[in-house]
Amino acid sequence: MHTFKILSALLTYPESETQAAAPEFADVLVQEGLLPQAEIAALACLFDELANRELMDLQERYVLLFDRSKALSLHLFEHVHGESRDRGQAMVTLAEMYHEHGLAISAKELPDYLPLFLEFLAQLPPADACALLAEPLTILSALRQRLAKRDSVYAHVFAALESLAWAKPNERELDELLSKPDEDPNDHAALDRAWDEEPVTFGPGGDGCPPADRNAPGFNAAGGS
Amino acid sequence: MSHFLDRLAFFKKDIGTFSQGHGIVTNEDRSWENAYRQRWAHDKIVRSTHGVNCTGSCSWKIYVKGGIVTWETQQTDYPRTRPDMPNHEPRGCSRGASYSWYIYSGNRLKYPLVRSRLMRLWREARASMSPVEAWRSIVEDSSKSDSYKQVRGQGGFVRAVWDEVNEIVAAANAYTIKRYGPDRVAGFSPIPAMSMVSYAAGTRYLSLIGGVCLSFYDWYCDLPPASPQTWGEQTDVPESADWYNSSFLMLWGSNVPQTRTPDAHFLTEVRYKGAKAVVVSPDYSEAAKFGDVWIHPKQGTDAALAMAMGHVILRDFHIDKQSDYFQDYCRQYSDFPLLVRLVKKGDALVPERLLRADDFVDGLGQENNPAWKTVAFDDKTKQIVVPNGSIGFRWGEQGKWNLEERTADGADSDLALTLIHDRDEVVPVAFPYFGNNKHDFFAGTDHADVLNRNIPVKTIALKDGEAYVTTVFDLFVANYGVARGLGGDNVANSFDDDIPYTPKWQERITGVPAEQVIAVARAFAENADKTKGRSMVIVGAGLNHWYHMDMIYRGIINMLVMCGCVGQSGGGWSHYVGQEKLRPQTGWLPLAFALDWNRPPRHMNSTSFWYAHTDQWRYESLSIDEILSPTAPDGDWSGSLIDYNVRAERMGWLPSAPQLNTNPLKIAAAADAAGKPPADYLVDQLKSGDVAFASEDPDDPENFPRNLFVWRSNLLGSSGKGHEYFLKHLLGTKHGVQGKDLGATDGTKPQEVAWHDEAPEGKLDLLVTLDFRMSTTCLYSDIVLPTATWYEKNDLNTSDMHPFIHPLSSAIDPVWECRSDWDIYKGIAKAFSEVAEGELGKEQDVVLVPILHDTAAELAQPYDVADWKRGDTEPVPGKTMPAVAVVERDYPNVYKRFTALGPLMNKLGNGGKGMAWNTEDEVTSLGALNGIVTEPGVSQGMPRIETDIDATEVILTLAPETNGQVAVKAWQSLSKATGREHAHLALPREDEKLRFRDVQAQPRKIISSPIWSGLESEHVSYTAGYTNVHELIPWRTLSGRQQLYQDHLWMRAFGEQLCVYKPPIDTKTIKPMLNQRSNGNHEIVLNFITPHQKWGIHSTYTDNLLMLTLSRGGPIVWISEIDAKQAGIVDNDWIEAFNANGALVARAVVSQRIPQGMTMMYHAQEKIVNVPGSEITGSRGGIHNSVTRAVTKPTHMIGGYAQQSYGFNYYGTVGSNRDEFVIMRKMNQVDWLDRPAPQSKLEAAE
Repeated sequence: MHTFKILSALLTYPESETQAAAPEFADVLVQEGLLPQAEIAALACLFDELANRELMDLQERYVLLFDRSKALSLHLFEHVHGESRDRGQAMVTLAEMYHEHGLAISAKELPDYLPLFLEFLAQLPPADACALLAEPLTILSALRQRLAKRDSVYAHVFAALESLAWAKPNERELDELLSKPDEDPNDHAALDRAWDEEPVTFGPGGDGCPPADRNAPGFNAAGGS
Repeated sequence: MSHFLDRLAFFKKDIGTFSQGHGIVTNEDRSWENAYRQRWAHDKIVRSTHGVNCTGSCSWKIYVKGGIVTWETQQTDYPRTRPDMPNHEPRGCSRGASYSWYIYSGNRLKYPLVRSRLMRLWREARASMSPVEAWRSIVEDSSKSDSYKQVRGQGGFVRAVWDEVNEIVAAANAYTIKRYGPDRVAGFSPIPAMSMVSYAAGTRYLSLIGGVCLSFYDWYCDLPPASPQTWGEQTDVPESADWYNSSFLMLWGSNVPQTRTPDAHFLTEVRYKGAKAVVVSPDYSEAAKFGDVWIHPKQGTDAALAMAMGHVILRDFHIDKQSDYFQDYCRQYSDFPLLVRLVKKGDALVPERLLRADDFVDGLGQENNPAWKTVAFDDKTKQIVVPNGSIGFRWGEQGKWNLEERTADGADSDLALTLIHDRDEVVPVAFPYFGNNKHDFFAGTDHADVLNRNIPVKTIALKDGEAYVTTVFDLFVANYGVARGLGGDNVANSFDDDIPYTPKWQERITGVPAEQVIAVARAFAENADKTKGRSMVIVGAGLNHWYHMDMIYRGIINMLVMCGCVGQSGGGWSHYVGQEKLRPQTGWLPLAFALDWNRPPRHMNSTSFWYAHTDQWRYESLSIDEILSPTAPDGDWSGSLIDYNVRAERMGWLPSAPQLNTNPLKIAAAADAAGKPPADYLVDQLKSGDVAFASEDPDDPENFPRNLFVWRSNLLGSSGKGHEYFLKHLLGTKHGVQGKDLGATDGTKPQEVAWHDEAPEGKLDLLVTLDFRMSTTCLYSDIVLPTATWYEKNDLNTSDMHPFIHPLSSAIDPVWECRSDWDIYKGIAKAFSEVAEGELGKEQDVVLVPILHDTAAELAQPYDVADWKRGDTEPVPGKTMPAVAVVERDYPNVYKRFTALGPLMNKLGNGGKGMAWNTEDEVTSLGALNGIVTEPGVSQGMPRIETDIDATEVILTLAPETNGQVAVKAWQSLSKATGREHAHLALPREDEKLRFRDVQAQPRKIISSPIWSGLESEHVSYTAGYTNVHELIPWRTLSGRQQLYQDHLWMRAFGEQLCVYKPPIDTKTIKPMLNQRSNGNHEIVLNFITPHQKWGIHSTYTDNLLMLTLSRGGPIVWISEIDAKQAGIVDNDWIEAFNANGALVARAVVSQRIPQGMTMMYHAQEKIVNVPGSEITGSRGGIHNSVTRAVTKPTHMIGGYAQQSYGFNYYGTVGSNRDEFVIMRKMNQVDWLDRPAPQSKLEAAE
């Protein structure tokens, strides 16, 4: 579906090609009808900016948001695995999934890059795509909230994605994600929380051992994969 | 029957129980196990390590699966040591174990980035102009260039593609070369030993275009100037395995478990063998618990402690009773027996210089270099003789440059250490005393400025009349205040006398009880006496980062030499290094500095460079009279620190960059027009004043450094002493400088340097940084190039700490748009060659070269200091001023030259440290190995250097340490000078040639080579000075011996002929700020100490969440409980530390570890991590260097004088920083300033 391709393009580094194509985005989305009208309307502002603002301004903003800020990284596993060793294996598993669908990564990108993942979804039947989109839903939701806090138009892209996924974000996981530092300048309480040392608990925690299917291409924040 | 049919003959049922019911068979799903199987499955394991700034060079296995690095583990297959010695492994620490994170981290740089304001200007200009013209139109229009300079450090990047970004860099370089000169393009990269090809990539490019390579070791203040002064060697130390051969170890200012983690096991192991350990550290450091004794002197007073220990050793082992071993060692290997002339200063006698053969009427029979041959008194013949081995024997003749106990005429000698038995007279000699300097925070004593002590002398007839002479040893003993029955004042008969430098005397200064000093000194010397030198001192940055670090180091070196420890297994000094041993150095030099195409390269000592070009000199508060000796020889000692540096440059002592106030590409043509050779022409121009040194006016736009490359370094986040001055003057952006310059304070202006009332801001037109992560330096750059990590490139690593050559290997291709440093500079070289076409052709570049150590030129200025500009002498290139060389650049062919091994290797050969050998065979074999360039052009027929692996093979093939045949040639070359056979040290390994794939298979031990003073063999571990002592190869000093007496005029002027205690200097940064800008909280003043940390290697890893979590995350400073209480600070409070240089913010760690009066900030905590705004400056926090400013020392500028001649990273001014104080107080407001910079058109947050 082009809907996913458009959302992928919106989250890709803006180039003149994107700029040229931007005026058509709204029509395509309306035609496909996958996205609710309200979400399409909310994206209009971003379409307009992409089409009409100076390209370098758009690029500068993109670099500042997505290349420079860890909290807004578009590499999904940054939010799940961060610096843990599980990240490598998770990427391997994800790449295998693409491979099973007859797709190999040609760009110099990692498998967990969101625009890349969305392009993959665009190749699937809508039902499969929407189901799979539910997996990283918690991350998408967290990113939306962070962007919304910065009043960024990019928040609407994530809102659109959330509306496409056939699920609700897991509240517990979302809270956990959002509890990670978001470099918010004036939130002293959050800052102090981040500095707090956690008490050490030995042995399995209240949630028991992690689930057995550690190698599923999961994006769930709590379980790891 | 039925049973038969029911019974299973071939199966048993796999249900039920077994082992008498203890086991039960279940059929549950076991597919979960696959998770673990897959989890640890991998496609390949690749050997690599971590580069640039870690001393470890530890071997790691990198696991790769599906083209993705999944994890790393320690490799454990090092070659063995020897029976009865522990092996090296396991090596590696938690920092290394978290490295794979960097590859995919959110902090990773993924694409080339360009400051968007610059990009706009560029694209606009480039639409209608050629690249060079486009660059000109931007930088020569200040409204344009200011627009991007002023927002440096404030974000605003856009991505760029490689072709475009290479063209911008190339155009900037080409324009700068054409308009201002190639020496206005500079590059800074440290520690080549760790990833030497990556270092060489940049310096090869710079050297081909005539750019300046900036030193780092001296700038980092890890260079111990005492080492070149004493040994003529930059730094040579034992491998860590040699710690295990010691039986008495002192850890002095070094925190081994924290900063040499992979090596610390040798220290713990040798303690099980019975070695005694003494730890000297003002704080209760991680190392302190390893000490049988923990001595904690007040920080910065270690020289006093070392002098007092020396006093005890002299008294007990040289004077009252004599250790035969010590006496023999000192007679043969130190300058103790050499004669020194005493001269009058006022009414007093002061020690002058070492006597030379040339001082005698007949030159003592010496025709060759008599001014450079030191003399001694022979006990057997009672004659004055010329012992072998002094530097005069090194050049211009062969066969006598050795440490055999012989004189120049071949007779055996028995040199007298003292004249006490053959004295003509006893005379009082004046010694300077600095321990009475007034300092607000360091206690002194009330002894006089000048201490007269009695010395035994002989009167002898010299060319210019009779003179008093004595031995170095006699002066040395008197300097320590040890009474020898010669009467007179200021000498002690008892350790309890309060006379410099007794154990009692030091109590007031260091706070260490005298008994502890006496006990440790005795044990140290007794052990050395019994074991023939197996006492060792591991010295650390805690000593070397002080302004008077040479005094601390020399105090310790004196102890080691007095006790015969240097050059013995398990003995000597183990400096923490910091430059790392580039073991295959002579193979690397041609690659790195393009010596295969043109010689000489442009080298510059960074401290002087940054001091001048970041305008730190404009704020200088240390005056010469504060450091001048009361016994200084008569003469004009006026001027300021930068004046001394300018004089040093003019006299050929230190290098200059930029060199002259004119474009060096234009000099040759002008000389041609005038009908003179370039050198003669330049001399005339300098004399007339039409041309001058650029350093005489660093604030003139003609003399700005214009383009700067930074790679493998975090110059602005980690090592930039005077950080805020960098921001203000070099970059021209927002800064936190609080103090006023000499113009505003009406201070004394320099004599040699032009003063501009308006200081320039934004000297640099272009700052290009290569990194794999968004460091603080990247943040301030105009162009950021994403480079490969240490698992994405092929390279070589070597270390001081172990004797192995180790690879960095490409486990995966660089991700995103990253490229290896080699490929990046290759790409720039290619773009440059294209851009240069039509703008620059073959050009004659006039290069000034200072008088270099380890060349015959080092015999330049034997006696006085003569500055031609002041009319003391004539300017003679290579003698009284820098040498003048003309180098032909071929700008359109830079790329072709970059990628092939040039013709000079065949034509001029190779060599190093004064040795030279033919290397045609190696060039031929490289052609066979790497292939030959077939494309027509300047490089056709030459060996290729296309890839990073090709580059490693160049190094490995050309170097004696990795190619046995070259090692034999090198030893044979040395034999000519020494007259002794040395090749036996390498002959057993002559046929060995290490290649890149060999070291990937297993790290390989080096082959012993004369480039280094230790051996790697089945009998000894590598230790410094070993071949000096055991092969009788002289140290590369004036006397050829360990030089404890420093007789250069400037050393005498500053009172450092012999080691003395000097308290820290007063940087005067507190008074202008204390209680001036109150926020209501109590302000305290603390000494600012910046040691290495556990959770980072400099700034690397301090942006890694794993390491941040292990420490506290974000910037922290440690303070004592007493100081904290006084300032009302509790643990984890936000504090601000500031002084006239700037301000920083951090969390307080309140700990009883820290003594009162000092604060410790682990250095290089990134500005990009959790740093809020400062109340003082109003801008983001600041880093540890925000409160520092470099202060240079004149004795480090000395040149043209044997071992005190210039060498890159070998000698020069150093960036000390521990004499600094800060005001500390609790913060009221923590403001994270996380608002977008106001200039951005389309805000991130709209």
